[in-house]
Amino acid sequence: MAGATADKLNQAESNILEKHREYLAEAKPKEDLLALNQAALARFETLGFPHRKHEMYTVVNTTEMVSTDFALTREGPVEAQAVQSHIYSGCEKSCLVLVDGKLSSTLSDTSAFGDSLKVSSLVDALSDASLKQYILETIENENDVFACINSSFFNSGVFLDVEDKTVLETPLQILHFSTGSKEAPVTTHPRVLIRVGAHAEMKLIIKYAGQSGNYFVNSVQDILLGENASMTYTQVQNDHADAWHYSKTRAELKRDSRFRATNASSGCKLARHHYDLFIKEPGAELELNGISVLDDEEQVHNFIRIHHEAPHCNSSQKFKNVVSGNSRSSIDGTVIVNQGAQLTNSDQLINNLMLSDGAHSDNKPNLMIFADDVKCTHGTTVGQIEEEQLFYLKTRGLTAEVAKALLTKSFAESIIQLIQFPAVVKELGNTLLRKLEA
Amino acid sequence: MLVIKDLHASVDGTEIIKGISLTVNKGEVHAIMGPNGSGKSTLAKIISGHPQYEATAGEVTFEGKNLLEMDPEDRALAGIFMGFQYPVEIPGVNNAEFLRMAYNARLIRDGKEELDPLDFDELLDEKMETLGMEKKYKERNLNEGFSGGEKKKNEILQMSILEPKLAILDETDSGLDIDALKVVANGVNKLRNEDNALILITHYQRLLDYIKPDKVHVISQGKIVKSGEKDLALELEAQGYDWLTPTS
Repeated sequence: MAGATADKLNQAESNILEKHREYLAEAKPKEDLLALNQAALARFETLGFPHRKHEMYTVVNTTEMVSTDFALTREGPVEAQAVQSHIYSGCEKSCLVLVDGKLSSTLSDTSAFGDSLKVSSLVDALSDASLKQYILETIENENDVFACINSSFFNSGVFLDVEDKTVLETPLQILHFSTGSKEAPVTTHPRVLIRVGAHAEMKLIIKYAGQSGNYFVNSVQDILLGENASMTYTQVQNDHADAWHYSKTRAELKRDSRFRATNASSGCKLARHHYDLFIKEPGAELELNGISVLDDEEQVHNFIRIHHEAPHCNSSQKFKNVVSGNSRSSIDGTVIVNQGAQLTNSDQLINNLMLSDGAHSDNKPNLMIFADDVKCTHGTTVGQIEEEQLFYLKTRGLTAEVAKALLTKSFAESIIQLIQFPAVVKELGNTLLRKLEA
Repeated sequence: MLVIKDLHASVDGTEIIKGISLTVNKGEVHAIMGPNGSGKSTLAKIISGHPQYEATAGEVTFEGKNLLEMDPEDRALAGIFMGFQYPVEIPGVNNAEFLRMAYNARLIRDGKEELDPLDFDELLDEKMETLGMEKKYKERNLNEGFSGGEKKKNEILQMSILEPKLAILDETDSGLDIDALKVVANGVNKLRNEDNALILITHYQRLLDYIKPDKVHVISQGKIVKSGEKDLALELEAQGYDWLTPTS
């Protein structure tokens, strides 16, 4: 069996190299971009596709996915109405729509920001040497083979620049819309780089949705937070059930900056969120919360690395998973407190609610501490619905179904309520929480 | 209304109730007293249908229906309310919202229109004012972080909203300071009328200074060892339970 898997992986890697030759011939990336694409492909060849014992993938089986012959990105026909239904109320004039990874100027509207938000092509932004250097460094240090594939193939993408002291009151929504394909599986590589200047503030909602399934959306987000900058970062994974979803979020936090992230996932064939978050300078604060509500064969996996590289910083994580059917969730989260990151405060808590015998959840909260004056906690719980709570609600006349739904909802709700955007909270009530009413 | 005949009940295979018979009629208040571990709470749990408590013999009927065959929620909808000795904390469920769901459960069962949040809020405010409860109870999550007294008051609030035919209060008076006890007694006395009935399970005679029972029963080692009028409670207060406990 091991030999068969190795053969499959070798074949899959050859496919990627072959596809990359096709891509270079078709897209003909210009010099700046070509250098990045090629550096990333070299990195891909070094990393290779993960086998089951790979540290990052011990509980995530990607063999079937990487063996799928995904066609290269191409823009499918898109119904404007299907896209608009995913734009949150309040974001009609503050939204960027990427269809299959490409910014759609007709579907996007950022008039709410006037000149305060600069939106440009990420490829054009490579003329800024510091940005190009930053991306090159992330590629050379990349440890995630799927993010590497994104870097090898991306040839569009968006660069958002919020200048120093600019406060964007209105939230910006980015919609990653995948048209999918009825015939053969397709893959897209959306990419966004955001620079929030010193003392600037931005609220961002990224939503992932799809039209007809059978797609692999492999996105990368880079976020650079300047001194005392602030970002609220909400990801809503609401892809077609018949889809694969990978996202990598990399963020760098400068002095006194604040990054407040929440992820709400409804799962798909295989969804994986990778967070690589670097606290670079003193006084920064980071919050990362997540909720997954899964049923049937759905999967959501979180891989989190928080790097404390400076003293006097805080990080906190709260994750909850509700798993039923034969669904699977996992959280592999490590907080690394580097030497010199004294007086770090870090908390991590993962709670799981298991609603069926077939559901599966793997959790690995982890701490690596190389400083001696820090306060760190981590923990995980796994449980079913508590009989005493259920009985209490029944004695008040609630049926078993209603009582169970109320208890599971209340479990999930505590994370959803942390999201600051009422339209998102409302939508999750209708999508994520609705799944618990069955 | 409630008829219990030669009830035997056990939990985890241990027999706790060893033959209890009791009849509670409309308009009556019964106090059930007894030492710790005598089976008082087990009786309450059997009547409300706790899954871990099993009636092994005898029968319990409520308005002629076999109660033991009914699910806890059906018993509740039939008009039975149990005030818990240790009310359960349910984080994430808003108290006012929960109260409205419980209130509407019966309306839904009867195919009637549910009360909307605004109308229910009026009803809730009115009930809370009569009980002398602060508004904060509405905003908080169900029993989460409540003190012992707050939890018991919240039970009484639920009872006054649901207006049951038969309420069983399981040591609702335990651990209360006098002000909270007055709220509880006040709630009970407001609910009392000719058509409903009440079983007060208590360890202390003090509650009976505020709620006058029609009958007092003493349970010991799973049996009713003495029944009488309200004076019995005073006797118990003066003499303790020892004189009633069967010597083995």
